Amino acid sequence: MDAAKQPDTSSELVALSVKQVLDDGNTDTRIVVLKSDDAGVTLPIWVGSAEGNAIRLAMDHVVTPRPMSHDLIRSFADHLGVRIERVVITDVKSSTYYASIALASKGLHRTLDARPSDAIALALRAGCPIYATQDVLNRRTAVHLDAWINRLDTNNTETQQA
Amino acid sequence: MLPAVITQMRVKGLIFDPYNNAYIVVLRDEDNSDMLPIWVGKSEASAIGLALESVTAPRPMTHDLMRSFLDTFDAKIISVVITDLNDNTYFATIHLMYEDSEYTVDSRPSDAIALALRTSAPIFASEKVIKKQSSEELEQWLENLKPEDFGKLDT
Repeated sequence: MDAAKQPDTSSELVALSVKQVLDDGNTDTRIVVLKSDDAGVTLPIWVGSAEGNAIRLAMDHVVTPRPMSHDLIRSFADHLGVRIERVVITDVKSSTYYASIALASKGLHRTLDARPSDAIALALRAGCPIYATQDVLNRRTAVHLDAWINRLDTNNTETQQA
Repeated sequence: MLPAVITQMRVKGLIFDPYNNAYIVVLRDEDNSDMLPIWVGKSEASAIGLALESVTAPRPMTHDLMRSFLDTFDAKIISVVITDLNDNTYFATIHLMYEDSEYTVDSRPSDAIALALRTSAPIFASEKVIKKQSSEELEQWLENLKPEDFGKLDT
């Protein structure tokens, strides 16, 4: 097949939602589980515990007595009249995911480099869509991933059998 | 002379408080007469510690993102102020200049300090806060700390 004639879909964006934030066993990390809207693709991203908690608070619509760090970014945006338009998981290199945050203010469009954990925590607070490029989804560490996630999920919610 | 309403403070260091499993950000004024300890969580302490030691993380940390957010729209942090203390919860404000207008944004002191250190903005404390926290016992406890207790953050 002539690859050049195939449409290049690698930069196409796929909309994702945050399904859950899982504890990763004994380590002090969390797994943010993103799923495409047709639930066909799962993208797990490992983040630190503080980052995972920031996402959990937003998922559960918890209003903390004092503004958390991502509430503060949201508040900066509100004060300056900046709209948080969308966040995109743009790349993965040596198991590190990269993200960008698209902002708009009075016709001015800007993109910020961010860790996915910050991008997602902010997107949930701003109510903006989360995307990943098709290329990132193609390159996720994907062997038997869904089965693995399901098993992890079960272990998280049920008492482990001895 | 009227007493100053706010006092400029410097971050003197971070101490681990094993009794509360938390960290204390120690602020002192210029002539070391006033001291303000602020208890913060581990991730907040780490955000302040990285800035104190001028460590550049391979990926932007949350407060680096905040800074780049403000930079990209030419919003400048004029100052941050630790404004109040209620039931051991501190309140702070971040003062921004954007398009010739000043904005005051409510914040936790830990975020305000982490951001001030990254933007070289001055940190102030209101007289009220400094008075409220004048617990002799705490002063004593901090005075008795040895220099080596002001260690680096273990991460």
